[in-house]
Formats: sequence, C-alpha cells, structure tokens
Amino acid sequence: MSDARIRNGSRRLWLAMAGALLIALFVGAGQAAEPKPAEPTPDKVEFNRDIRPIFSENCYACHGPDKGKRKARLRLDVRESAVKLYAIVPGQPDDSELVNRILSEDDEDRMPPIDSHKTLTDRQKDLIVAWIAQGAQYQDHWSYVVPSRPAAPSVQRPGWVRNPIDAFILAPLESKGIDPSPEAPRRTLIRRLSLDLLGLPPSPEEVRAFEADQRPDAYERLVDRLLESPHYGERMAVPWLDLARFADSVGYHGDQGQRVFPYRDYVINAFNHDKPFDQFTTEQLAGDLLPDPSPEQLIATGFNRLNMVTREGGAQPEEYLAKYAADRVRTVSLTWLGSTMGCCECHDHKFDPFSQRDFYTMAAFFSDVKQWGVYNDYDYTPNPELKGWSNDHPFPPEIEVENQYLKDRNAQLADRVRTAAAAAPEDEKLAVWLDETRAFLKDSPSGWRTISATVDGSEAKPQPDGSLLMPPAVKSDPKEGWSFRTEAGAGWVARIKVELLPHEINGGRVARAGAADATVSLSATIQSAGSKKGRPVQFFQAEADHKEPRYFNGEVVPGVLNGWRTSRALVGEKQTAVWCLDPPIELKDAESLAVAVKGKGAGCVRVSFSPLGFDLDGDLTGDLASEAKTAIEAADAKESAAVKTLYQLATAADAGFWERARAACLEIAAHPKGRAFTLVTKAAPPLETRVLPRGDWLDRSGPIVEPAVPHFLPHKEAKPGERLTRLDLARWIVSADNPLTARVFVNRLWKQFFGVGISSVVEDVGAQGEWPVHPELLDWLAVEFREGGWSVKHMVKLMVMSSAYRQDSRQRPELLDDDPGNRWVALQSPRRLEAEFVRDNALSIAGLLKLDLIGGPSVFPYQPAGYYANLQFPNRDYVASAGDAQYRRGVYTHWQRTFLHPMLANFDAPSREECSPARTVANTPQQALTLLNDPTFVEASRVLAESLLRVEPNGGDSDEARIDQLYRRALARSPKAGEASSLLDFLNDRRGYFRTNPDEADKLLHVGQSPPAEGLDPAEAAAWTLVCRVALNLHETITRY
Amino acid sequence: MNRPIQPEPWRAAIQRRVFLRDSAYGLGGLALAGLLDPRIFGGSARAGESSAKPGEHWRGVVRPTHFPVKARRVIHLCMAGGPSQHESLDYKPLLHRLDGKPFPESFTKGQQLAQLQNKALIARGPFCGFRKHGDSGQEISDLFPHTARIADKICIIRSLTTEQINHDSAHAFMNSGSILKGRPSMGSWLLYGLGAETDELPGFVVLTSAGASGLQPVSARQWSAGCLPSKFQGIQLQSRGDAVHYIGTPPGVGVDGQRRSIDEINHLNGMLLDDRLDPEIQTRIAQYEMASRMQASVPELSDFSSEPRSILDMYGVNMPGDGSFASNCLMARRLAERGVRMIQLYHRAWDHHGNIEKGMTQAALEVDQACAALVEDLDQRGMLDDTLVIWGGEFGRTPMGQGTGRDHHILGFSIWMAGGGIKPGITYGATDELGYRAVENVVPVHDLHATILALCGIDDARFSVKFQGQDVRLTGFEPARAVREIMA
Repeated sequence: MSDARIRNGSRRLWLAMAGALLIALFVGAGQAAEPKPAEPTPDKVEFNRDIRPIFSENCYACHGPDKGKRKARLRLDVRESAVKLYAIVPGQPDDSELVNRILSEDDEDRMPPIDSHKTLTDRQKDLIVAWIAQGAQYQDHWSYVVPSRPAAPSVQRPGWVRNPIDAFILAPLESKGIDPSPEAPRRTLIRRLSLDLLGLPPSPEEVRAFEADQRPDAYERLVDRLLESPHYGERMAVPWLDLARFADSVGYHGDQGQRVFPYRDYVINAFNHDKPFDQFTTEQLAGDLLPDPSPEQLIATGFNRLNMVTREGGAQPEEYLAKYAADRVRTVSLTWLGSTMGCCECHDHKFDPFSQRDFYTMAAFFSDVKQWGVYNDYDYTPNPELKGWSNDHPFPPEIEVENQYLKDRNAQLADRVRTAAAAAPEDEKLAVWLDETRAFLKDSPSGWRTISATVDGSEAKPQPDGSLLMPPAVKSDPKEGWSFRTEAGAGWVARIKVELLPHEINGGRVARAGAADATVSLSATIQSAGSKKGRPVQFFQAEADHKEPRYFNGEVVPGVLNGWRTSRALVGEKQTAVWCLDPPIELKDAESLAVAVKGKGAGCVRVSFSPLGFDLDGDLTGDLASEAKTAIEAADAKESAAVKTLYQLATAADAGFWERARAACLEIAAHPKGRAFTLVTKAAPPLETRVLPRGDWLDRSGPIVEPAVPHFLPHKEAKPGERLTRLDLARWIVSADNPLTARVFVNRLWKQFFGVGISSVVEDVGAQGEWPVHPELLDWLAVEFREGGWSVKHMVKLMVMSSAYRQDSRQRPELLDDDPGNRWVALQSPRRLEAEFVRDNALSIAGLLKLDLIGGPSVFPYQPAGYYANLQFPNRDYVASAGDAQYRRGVYTHWQRTFLHPMLANFDAPSREECSPARTVANTPQQALTLLNDPTFVEASRVLAESLLRVEPNGGDSDEARIDQLYRRALARSPKAGEASSLLDFLNDRRGYFRTNPDEADKLLHVGQSPPAEGLDPAEAAAWTLVCRVALNLHETITRY
Repeated sequence: MNRPIQPEPWRAAIQRRVFLRDSAYGLGGLALAGLLDPRIFGGSARAGESSAKPGEHWRGVVRPTHFPVKARRVIHLCMAGGPSQHESLDYKPLLHRLDGKPFPESFTKGQQLAQLQNKALIARGPFCGFRKHGDSGQEISDLFPHTARIADKICIIRSLTTEQINHDSAHAFMNSGSILKGRPSMGSWLLYGLGAETDELPGFVVLTSAGASGLQPVSARQWSAGCLPSKFQGIQLQSRGDAVHYIGTPPGVGVDGQRRSIDEINHLNGMLLDDRLDPEIQTRIAQYEMASRMQASVPELSDFSSEPRSILDMYGVNMPGDGSFASNCLMARRLAERGVRMIQLYHRAWDHHGNIEKGMTQAALEVDQACAALVEDLDQRGMLDDTLVIWGGEFGRTPMGQGTGRDHHILGFSIWMAGGGIKPGITYGATDELGYRAVENVVPVHDLHATILALCGIDDARFSVKFQGQDVRLTGFEPARAVREIMA
C-alpha cells in the first residue's frame, strides 16, 4: 500500500508541474502572438540573399526560365530582359514598372496577381525598391558558381578554434556577441559520437574508459577508433541507400523481389574503406564502362537499376521506359546536383535555368542501360528476350558474384558445426566407423560407390559403367523409373548421388530425344530380408551442380528436393545431383537400400552413395575433399577434431548435434561458396531519346537528343560526332568545374552531424532552396572535400573534431528569439535517431544485436501478420527470420517498397520508391505504439532484464545498482535520484503484480524467439522486463543529445 | 558557462520558439515553405492557439476554410481493378447492337491500349439489362439492384477520364493526382488541410477486402502521406491480428500494466523536460497519451456487439469483422461517427479481362447491398448531409471485348457520389454513343479532386505544400475546375 501512496503522490506532483507548464504555454503564446518589429532593410541589398528568394517564390512562375509559361515576354531572372522592358530601371525605382505593379492598389494591376495566391510583405517590397535604387545588380546563383576556398576569418577567441570550421562558426557569433556553448560532458560526447558515427550506443565500459582517459588526444583517439569500426559503414550507408532508392522489391504492381543485396554491401564497404567519393560516383554510374571492370565495379552499377520497374499485365513497354528514364534523371540530379530536375520532364524549370531539353539530354546518358519496359512475357507485346518469363522470374541483367558476407557466414556456420561436434559426447562407435570408412575409401577413394542397377521389369538396360539406360523409343513418362539397390550390409549411407550421363544414342545428350531437359526425383527405402515393404528414408537437402532454376518471387528456390530439372544449356554434359539423408542410415547385415529415380526425359542414369555426410565447405556434389581424406587416414585420426566432425555429419550419432548441424548445412547449401546474384548495368546500343512534349510518351513530335549535361552549368563541349557516355557524365559530376557536387555532399553531411544543412533544403540548392547561413564555410568544406581527394572520412573527422560539434546541446533561452532553428550553431542540435538506429540502439542496449558480420542478404524482423495480404503476383507471406538473422542491424531489413516494414515506416524511413535526400522527422502515437508493443522491443526489454538479473553489477545485486546499470547501458549516465526512486516504485508495483499473476509473467517472458533465461524467478524477470521497457521507451533513449 | 536554469523564462521562451519553428529536430522543406506551424510534426506543441492542451488533435492548415464546408468527412469506396461502366452506370444501346462486330476504327485510332495492344478490336455489348430507377429515372444496370434503390440519393458521373491505364499508376493518379512518388494521397491532404475531429483514432483510415475474382494488388503508397509528415498517412485497419499495427498490449503486460508503464514513461520524460526544456519531449509525452487512448478506442471500434441484427442484415454482414466489404462498410460508418476525416475502402475484385459475366456479377453481389446500406444508414442517422460518399474504380473498361472480358479504359468511365453537398438524383456528363470517349461535361480526375476539396471547403488552387522547390497540389500544376453543376 505504501508503494501505491508514493506513486500517487508523485503523480500529483507531476500533474502540478504539467499545470504550470500549461500556464507557461499561454503566457508564451500571448507573447509570441505580438507582432515583431519588422527587420530593417540592410544597407546593401544583395540579389542572391535578399531578392532572388522573393522573385523565385512570387514571380518566376510567369517571368522566369520556363518559356512555355512566360507572360508578357518578361523575364525577371535575366537583368537584360527586365531592363529592356522597363520592368526595372536601375537606380530609379519610381520609373520601374515592377515597382509600380507591386505597390499598386488596383487589384487588376497589382503583382503578383490575385489568382496566384501570392502576396509580398511590406519588407519584401521595401527590399525590391531599395535594390533597384542601389542599381539592381544581379548575382549569379551561389550554387552555380564554382566554389573557391575562402580564408578562415579571424576571431577573438582563437583557443576555441580547433579547425577552420570553428573559425567560420565563431566569427559570426562573436560579431553578434554570442558565446558558443560549453563542451558537452564526456559521457554525452561518446554517446553522441557513437550514435552519429556507428548508429550504436557506447557500452558502459567504453563510457567509463573515455571518462577516465587523461591523454590530451583522448577525443581524437575515440574518433579514430569509431571511424575504423566496420559499423561506421553500416551507419553511413543508410542515407546513401535512401538516395540510391535501394530496396528488395521492384515497387510497381506486384512488387516482386529483386536480387541486389550485394549493392548494399558495396556501399557499406565503400564507406568503411573510405573509397574516394569521385570513384564511388563513377563506379555507380558507369562502373561497367571502366576498362576491365572488377566485380565490385559491376556490383556498383546496380545503382542505375534501382528504379522501380513493372511486370504488370497490360503495361506498355514504351510508357514504362519513359518512367524509368525520368526516375534516373530525378535521382542523379537530386543525389549529386542537389537539383530538382523532375519538373523539366514536362516543361522548362520554373525557378532554375534547367530546360526541358536538359532533362532529356540527361536521360539520354542512360539510354544504353539494358532493360525492358515490362519484365514479363505477354502475348500482346511479344519479345523474344523475355520468353518464358513469369511473375516469379528475376530481373536481369544480373551477374553472379562471390559475396564476402556469405563466405564469412558459411565459415562461421561450419565452425559452429565443428564446435558442436567437438562438444558432442565421446562415442566409442567412432573407431568402428573410422575403420569401415577407411576400408570404403580404399576401394572407393572418391568417397562414392556406385549402386548396382536392378532389372525389375523396366525397359531400362544396365550398362557396363553401372548406369541404367532407357532406350529412346520408350515413351517418356513421369512414372518411368530407374531402379538401383545396394548390396546387403553396405554400412553407412549419408548421401546419394544421381548422375545423368550423356549417351550417344541420345545424341550425346543427357535428355532423351525430343526432350530439352530431364526432370527427375528420387526416393529410397531400406529393404530388409523377410519384409516386402521397405522403410522410406528422409532427406533434408538435395542440390545439383547444374539445373534449370525454379523461381519464386524473383529468387531461386534452393535445392532440388522437390524435383530436379536439368540445365538445358548444358544438356550435352554430365549433370549431377546429391541427396542428403536425414538422418544418415546404417545398412546392417541383411539390409539394403533400394533407390528409385523417377521422372521425364532422362536417358542414362547412374546412382552412387557415400558414407560421408554434408561437405561444410559447400562442395555439394563433388568428390570427397582431400583434406577430409587425409584426416581420416591420419594415424591419430581418432583424436582429430576434423574426424569427429566428419563422423557426426556421417552418422548423426548425437541428436542435439544433428539438429543444429542440419540447419547450418541448409543455410550453407543455399549459398554454396558464397555465390549470389545481383542487378547490374549492362550497356546495350542506346535507344533513341526524344524530348517528350508535356512529358507525354505517346507524342513523338519532339526532337531527338543526344546525351549532354545541363546546358548552363560549366562543362567542356563534346567533340563533334562524339556521343557522350555515362562515364563522361560521372567524370563531369566530379570534375573541378562542377559547382554543385561537392557542396551538395558536404551540406548533407553537415546535416547529419549538426541537424540542419548549412543550406537547409538539402534536396534543392537552386532558387527555391535556401541561401546558406554560412556560405563561406560551405564553400570551404566543398573545396576541402574536392582537393582533399574526396575523402568522406576526412570530412567526417573534420566536422566531429570541431569545437562546434562538441558543444552542449542544451537549449539557450537567450538565443531562442533570434536563432530559433539553431542555424548559427551556438549549440549542438538534439536529433532523434533514424528508424534503423532506433531499433539497433534498443537491441544493442539489450545485448541482442548480432554485429559479428558485415553485409549480406536482407533479413526479416518480426512483422504483424497479414501485412502482405494485398500483395499479389505472386501471393506471399512474411516469415520472420530465425536465429542470428532476427537480430541483425536495421540497415539489413528487407525493404518491401509497397509495404515497408511498419516499424521502419512509423519512424519515418522512406519507402525508397524514389530518391529520398531527406527524411521527415515526425513524433506520432504510432511511434509510441511501436516502442511499447512491437515484439522486437518487448523482447529486447526482456533480454535486457534477464542480463541485468544474471550479472551482478558493481555495487552489488540491489535494485538500485541494477537501475544504475540499466541507465548506464541505455543512456550512458547514472539515473538522477528522482528517476531512480520513481523506477523503483514502478518495479515494486509490477513485482507485486507478477508475484500474484505468475501466468502473466510467463506469457511476457515468452515474447520473441530467444529462449527465456533459465534459473531466474519469473516474477522478478517479468517486473524487470517492464522496467527495461520503460527505459527503452524514453525520449532520451531514442535521441542523440 | 553552465548557468543554473530559470525555468519560467525558459518555458516562455521555448513556447515562442515552438511557435517560430517546427517542433521536430531540424528544419525540413516544409518549414521553409512558410508553414512554420509546430503542429505539423507533432501533436502537442500548439502555442498561439485558443487552447494549449497537449495532445489535442491536429486542427488543419486551412482555417478558416475557403468555402462553406458541405462535407465534413469522405468515404471513398474504391472499386479496385476498374469496374465496367458498360454493365453498371453507362448504358449504350448502340454498343448492344454492335456486339461482336468490329469496333469502328475512327474511335480508337492512335489511342492507348493495355492488354488489347496489337489485337483486333471487337465491340462487346453489355451482358445485362439496364432500367430507369426512382423519381429521377437514373439508369442503373440490373447487377446493382440495391444501388438502384438509392438512385434518387446519388449523382452519377459518366464522363470521368484519367491519365493512367495500368492499375498501379492509375490508383496513384486517382489518389494523389500524380504518378510521382512523394505526392500525398487525398486522405492525407484532407487531414492536413482540415485537421482531425478525433484524437482517439487516426484521421485517415483504410480498409481492404478481396472478391472472388478479378483481384489486383494494391500498395500502401495509395494511402501514403508522401512529402507530408507521416502523421497524415492513412492507417490501414487490418482484418487479421491487431486492427492497427502494434495496437495490442504485449502478452502478460495487462491493461493496468500498460497504463502504469505509460505513466512511468511520461513521468520520466517529464523529468527530462524539466531538465532540458526541449519542446520535442513535451510532444513525445502527448503522443504516449494519444497512443494510450488509441489502445482503448480501437477495440471499442472493432466491437460490433452494439449493432443490432437489423443493421447487420441491412449491410449484409454475416460475421462482423470478417474482412468482407460489407463488414468494412459498417466499419466505415462507425469510423465516420467517431470523427475520422477520410475513410477508404478498397474492394479488390474488378479486373475482368476475362469471364466478365461471372466475375462482375459476383463482384456486384459483393458490394451492391452494402454500398446502398451505407448511404441509407448515414441518411437515417442524419449524417449523409455532411458525409461525401464516392463509388468508383481507378479507371473503367473498354467497350471492346477482350475475349470474354474487357480491357482497361481511361477515356471515359463512370462513378457515383452521394451526400456531402452533392446534388442527388442527377446524371452528369456523357460518353459518345459507343461509350468510348467522354464527350460531354468531361470530368478529369483533377476536376474530381477539385470538386471533393471544394465540398470540404477548400479551394484547390490555394491548397499547396512546398516540396523540392515546387508548390505541390492535389490537383496538379494546371488549373482544375470544381464541378459546381453537381453541387447542391
């Protein structure tokens, strides 16, 4: 009861505080509602800073670059035009028609016109008048002028300046009489750096070590350590993947899966290895056009294939090719040029000098990208290249690559199998098995022994090599069979191999005359003397060296357990498939194994068996590896770990081992040798590109255009007769005369570390964007980036090493009026974590996050049931990943464009249907519901609670010590007294509840796939789960301060 | 430098700051568009308003409205797949007579086709009869006897046109007025403009159902908020599992445990607010309160036990909450009663490229009774006057046959509207004598959007949001026309 009273008391206190806040709201509101005195007109009015934004917003739509919409032939974006038509008479505002019109009292006369729903403020009118009086000098738009490196300004407090960034920030602050904020405490700094650079929180040990590090360069050492972490690339990849519109599904209509995860690995690795940004750019846009491109450079070109595509029935290829082209123009212009060329699909840009022609000349660069408008084989638009394609077919062109993650993962799985084998109980049968296996290998050194053919009334004829040949004349029939039987007491059988052999009576093909391929299946039964009916054996896996792949939703269905269809291309070569027994069997004395191969189209079939099991190196159909043979034949084989593993895999002697090994083998078999497919750009003869009037793809009246960069930006003219390529485009983008690329990139980077870009509209540095708050700093950073070898890590380090970055993020009341957006950077800006890192952070605090490997295929975190019910072609269901994959980082989450994972969507991750340079940051009830109720976060709370209870924190096992530990893990700080006592009350309250409701505790402790910890009091674990859940829901936990 | 904080001036200052900037961290394009409205991103930071209660619902940017408000809420019955106008609302005797004969090339030359690309074009007459109904004498096919019953309450538009001939992009165009991603859907626009009338339920709700045939997928992008903050996105009520994602309290936590947890979270967040005076924390606190209210109200919403048998029978609901279109219609009324601004019901059943006789007869059977019941039920509750109901597909179907079915068609198709300021009992617009092309009082999708906005009190030309340098409108860049002729 006393607990409850305290609880109520504290709630009353809180209500009182909230009440005070409400009153404050009213007061604040009243003050805010009073009009502020108008900002005075500056002495010197600058076109770029003061006038261009007014013209762009209010005038350019009719008096700007778009010739299609221009009224009265007047341009206000070109001084010559404005002066010639007397809209502007420099020095004489009273004679300027522009001034007369904006000041007119007459609704008919006044500009902007009423139907534009635009109005000018008095201050804007004053500015225009003053500017004309001062001579109406125009300036080139800041972002279209090649930046040069400005000198860092001098400051009164040189001690604050750690690098030139600080000088550019401090000088204007000093001129305004504002001190920068003090440096944040170390625990705040390490959490900030960890979340900014890795997207992961620091461990309590790391916080403690950093706080205790007395070395003068402790901070820099920390920065360097984080920059070297492989998790840096995982964090930096996220915004780039938004730009690249990286997703696992194609986006239109049936939103089928596409195979492209190696591209994501490329991006992660590029950031980790600090691949120079010019190279990064070139490889993605044109890696295939580089001389002798590496697989990595080809993988990078997946960038050009990440536009949404369709295979909808009834879609017109031409229409969709136009959509794909437009997407690429928008993507390239937003990503590198920070420009919104999208509107030029239909008309000249209304605010910037981009013309409609620029849109199509940009599109023309990509007209060589091999693609199809509609990725399906429809009879009304037949295309021989698409023959046989269905809704399940992948989206070529693709290449098969060796993926480092998959190789590492397979090695990890193999290691786990070996560890499990080593942990299996000692087994005296191993010696017997070893002797038998040695004897077997003496006769059959390949590890395979042919099983004799059975002549049982079938028309198949035995051949000298042990195979059975079906005469071509026999009608091909799925029930047709080839039968084989081992001798009695043949010993262990772990795998069965089927070879389809080319035969001269079939024209040297493995398929019979008239068949393009063979489709076979296999069954086997143990036959014992005296019993007519055999006992069937089970298989857990089967795979072929060559096959016609079966697809589901864009992916190959792994294995051939449900039937093996031979490769048509290799019909003239032997093809082999191997079935793995589940579990392996031992044929004793009177027992033999009968193997029946059935199916259509096969001719000559040979079957053999092996007493050795799955090859952990992923050689699924080959002969026994020489290492294995050496190990078996070694003198000390009985003691050898390798032999123990071979023994367990061959016999499944330990059931616990077998359970684990089987799952591992299946995963290895899904990607043997780490092979994976990925979308790439393949160059083809370029298709014709026309300007489409009003963007209408049916209108063929526009001129044909060749590739060219936007006409008004600095560039070298192409040689006559030369057709520019994607490689030329990439080189122009990163050339020294491109004024945009470096600025656009460093501006986005600044936003990442300071909350707002130096020019705040990161996706538009044109006229409708924002004049940068610190233009010289932006230019300095851009030049530093370009001249410093395009090193992203160098720029990141510069930014986070600055004093500006290290400031405290506490609000400063005296600045709120003058700098409400913290654009002057007199403090750090707090930042809510992006969706992926909200999850990573929680799982990492809980100790659930699997961080050991980098890269790899997408994973499937828990997702509400039925979410994909509206997806069709094919219908599909979402199956949450099991095991390690459930706990991988958010960057690896399966990205279904039409139905993005609700947790990601609720925290503002974009669907990536389109290039997304900036995420919105909302604060919604859906976010609260996600953190409260999504099983991912509930499980994280539980596992966190279990680990708190298992480990005795410093300071003993008291509740207080555990709450302290919880705060250190979640927030890198100790709780305040009020926080700790409040949580203690809450803990005790829930403790009481779960003690009297043990069933409820049990339910809570079973949320998620990870098994509940053993040996813990369920009521205790459940109560702490709710405490931890509170901690993971805190605003501070999902915020980087 | 670490001066002690003076809480009161701080708070006052923060509220000014909240008024001046958005309440989320960092300025986005929205803020720079002059929409420095703190409530865009959060639910609570509402200084400068007549009431400053944290967590009160979003009240919209169009205040006061441009026109008198006729429709306070919109129920859009999306007949996904594209129902045939030739067997529903647009009777053409000549097409009947031409059945099986070549379709005159003068109509079709140079026009876009979907699956009929490169095929011979044969006229296909309606397979069912049409009759005139009600005092108004509106012509409705025999497949829709219940809709026929409400003929005097609805306005039929026979002259709709769209620009997109494939399902995915046509849905996008019908919903957002654009095929570009990042464009807000109609429901998001309405919620953003007019605000919500409930803080216990989302202001824009979507339900889907599937018919027996003619199914096409539908994407969550159709109810996306696009470039507007995600709080304006449509929330899909699921037919399986929790009605709203993550609305269910985890196993073992219990109602009381959930309430206490939220109290504790907000209590601790309140302490942080005292320390940091960051308005975003205050918004967060309000969102947890709203989440708690949603957790309480969604189960009540889904509990149909208060609906009498007579109402269930009226809609043709066999099992309330079974995910059928009929059940969804009843849910739509319940949502409308509870102040939801926009309700969209997708029934995926109308893509009849083949076997249209069986398929469309069945699809009509699935929706007809419930659609009419919804209109009548709203009417008997006095809600039809300010609830706009729209029935129609993302496009129509060809007057030419495609084997035993019809292909997609965009040059003229039919919808009906009712309530919410719509003139009842009239037919507006017409197609040519073969029902191929809208020729009289043509209503492009953008004009339909302008009409819907106008009925809701919004002038489409004055309703835009800045995105990537452009003034984005539901009705596109060219001027659109609200169809005054169909307004009461």
